[in-house]
Amino acid sequence: MSREIIIRTQNLGKIFRDPVEFHALKKINLEIYRGEFSAITGASGSGKSTLLYVLSTLDTDYTGKLFFEEEDLSQKSKNGLAELRNQKIGFVFQFHYLLHDFTVIENVMLPGLKLGLLSESQLRKKALEKLEILGLPDQAEKKAGKLSGGQQQRVAIARAMINDPVIIFGDEPTGNLDSVNTKNVFDVFKSLKEQFNQTILVVTHDQEFAGKTDRIIKLHDGEVVKD
Amino acid sequence: MKKKNPILRIALTHLFSKKRQTVVAMLGVTFGIAIFIFQGGLMTGFQKTFIDQTVNTTANIRIYNEPKKERPFLITEVYASGEWLVVRNQKPREELPGIKNASAIVAELEKNPEITGVSPFLSSQVIFKLGLAEVSGRVSGVDIERENLIFDVEENMVEGSISKLATMNNGIILGDGLAELLGAKMNDNILLISPMGVSVEVKVAGINHSGLTEVDKQRAYLSIRNTQKLLLADGSYITDINLKLKDFNKAEILARELEKKFGYRCLDWKEANVNVFGIFKIQNLITYLIIISILVVSGFGIFNILMMIIYEKLPDIAILKAVGYKDRDIMKIFLTESLIIGFTGGIFGLVLGFLLQQIIGNIEMDIKGFVSMKYLQFNNSPIFFVSAFIFGLVATALAGYFPARKASRVDAIDIIRAK
Repeated sequence: MSREIIIRTQNLGKIFRDPVEFHALKKINLEIYRGEFSAITGASGSGKSTLLYVLSTLDTDYTGKLFFEEEDLSQKSKNGLAELRNQKIGFVFQFHYLLHDFTVIENVMLPGLKLGLLSESQLRKKALEKLEILGLPDQAEKKAGKLSGGQQQRVAIARAMINDPVIIFGDEPTGNLDSVNTKNVFDVFKSLKEQFNQTILVVTHDQEFAGKTDRIIKLHDGEVVKD
Repeated sequence: MKKKNPILRIALTHLFSKKRQTVVAMLGVTFGIAIFIFQGGLMTGFQKTFIDQTVNTTANIRIYNEPKKERPFLITEVYASGEWLVVRNQKPREELPGIKNASAIVAELEKNPEITGVSPFLSSQVIFKLGLAEVSGRVSGVDIERENLIFDVEENMVEGSISKLATMNNGIILGDGLAELLGAKMNDNILLISPMGVSVEVKVAGINHSGLTEVDKQRAYLSIRNTQKLLLADGSYITDINLKLKDFNKAEILARELEKKFGYRCLDWKEANVNVFGIFKIQNLITYLIIISILVVSGFGIFNILMMIIYEKLPDIAILKAVGYKDRDIMKIFLTESLIIGFTGGIFGLVLGFLLQQIIGNIEMDIKGFVSMKYLQFNNSPIFFVSAFIFGLVATALAGYFPARKASRVDAIDIIRAK
């Protein structure tokens, strides 16, 4: 069975020039397939977060080629990339990055409001559905800042899902959580993959978390050492 | 907050999270615009009043014979080669600086469709004498009916009427300031003494108030014939012709034309008041400098609060960018915030400025200076208010632009990595 490629890289490299020239990523050739729940691991400084930022189009200063659904991203404008992220990419960061002055449901709706495909009431309904999947429907009208860390991270996942993205990127999504909540988040990702065939790519230094995923990509000094 | 537009919603949320600073920034704009309306309105209102009164009391165009400073003597003109010509202590001929063939010129001017009033007159320095009081001033010898077409003399009469001057053969209309100085009342007999040594007794037929203090203190109207008598002149002697135009803004152009045509000096009203307009220019400059500096200060208030919000909300900006908000969306958020401050502050400023105008404008002042007026006159035309508002919005947009641009250029990666 040939699997659909979501992300493909060709000799992807990343050089930091400040303060000294440093090759953070070296000739990375990777393919991420639809429905895959994979983890990028490695020691700190191995370049795993850097790789994630490049793959997720946030960082555009790279060498080599990056394809998203077989489209060459080096041709895309900054605004084009913003649109791509809005429609097709979901983000979950270590420090949730919720907008604290807004309610939970407003946070979840934010990317959807930007996309502007649904009416406000339709969007609200969809956001509630996502919150239900994550077990938080009763928190919807609370201010985001009032929630616990584990709850906030689940809100962030709901936000990542609101536009039904092609892929969800996680940057140490459990880095700041206790073991109970870590398991919670893992279970959520797992069920997203199983129920909705959601593609998920997570950067983590948590070996246990990584060990339970479908695929581990291990980085060392900017190179893939194990896949 | 049921708005679909996330940008407006984010902007409002930011402002509400910093209520006190937002209010202070708004107050800055409010005072800026209120002072714009008050100060600027006072200045332009005063100037408009002055111009109106000036236009009503100075002729749109005045034609007169300007004495040349250097007149060549006849002898040097005849013997132009000029060798060995020594005549010491030559004395110019005494002559009156009149307009020759005045009646022909008047007839000619009356045919011009641009000109709605023509009033020939002659004036002379005189000493007014009534009992002990002696005041020097000027008499204008006019055909009062023609003069009325130009200056609305009748409308400005405090006592008596112009028809009285026209029918009496020795009537005089005094400026109210002059009447006060002389202590003259209606029907008093006043003695006029001219520089020629002629004295004529006249009777007060009316008292007039033009509104320009200096004019009212000095000027009196007399008939042309009586003025000619004072100057020992013949019945055709006229020194000036005053004109009123359909459109007083065309005075300058028409004055030049008439100057060429008749060869006499034609002074338009702007030229006649050139020193006053010079003062206006400086006045305006000072006023607008004050207003601009106030708006700059309120601009800094806006700049300040936006920078504060931006630094505090850097993570928000990063995540908005990550989930697909474009640079210009971020820019819009912060520009919207500054415009909300400017708009709200501006509306209050308009109201405050209007109230100030109303309150101050209703205090009786009785000013007697440059011009005399009972109340301060404000410029309260809608255009003035609209321009004040637009001025305020432009200032706030400028103050908001730089922080907004800074926010839009924030690199999401830098912020996410820094944590």
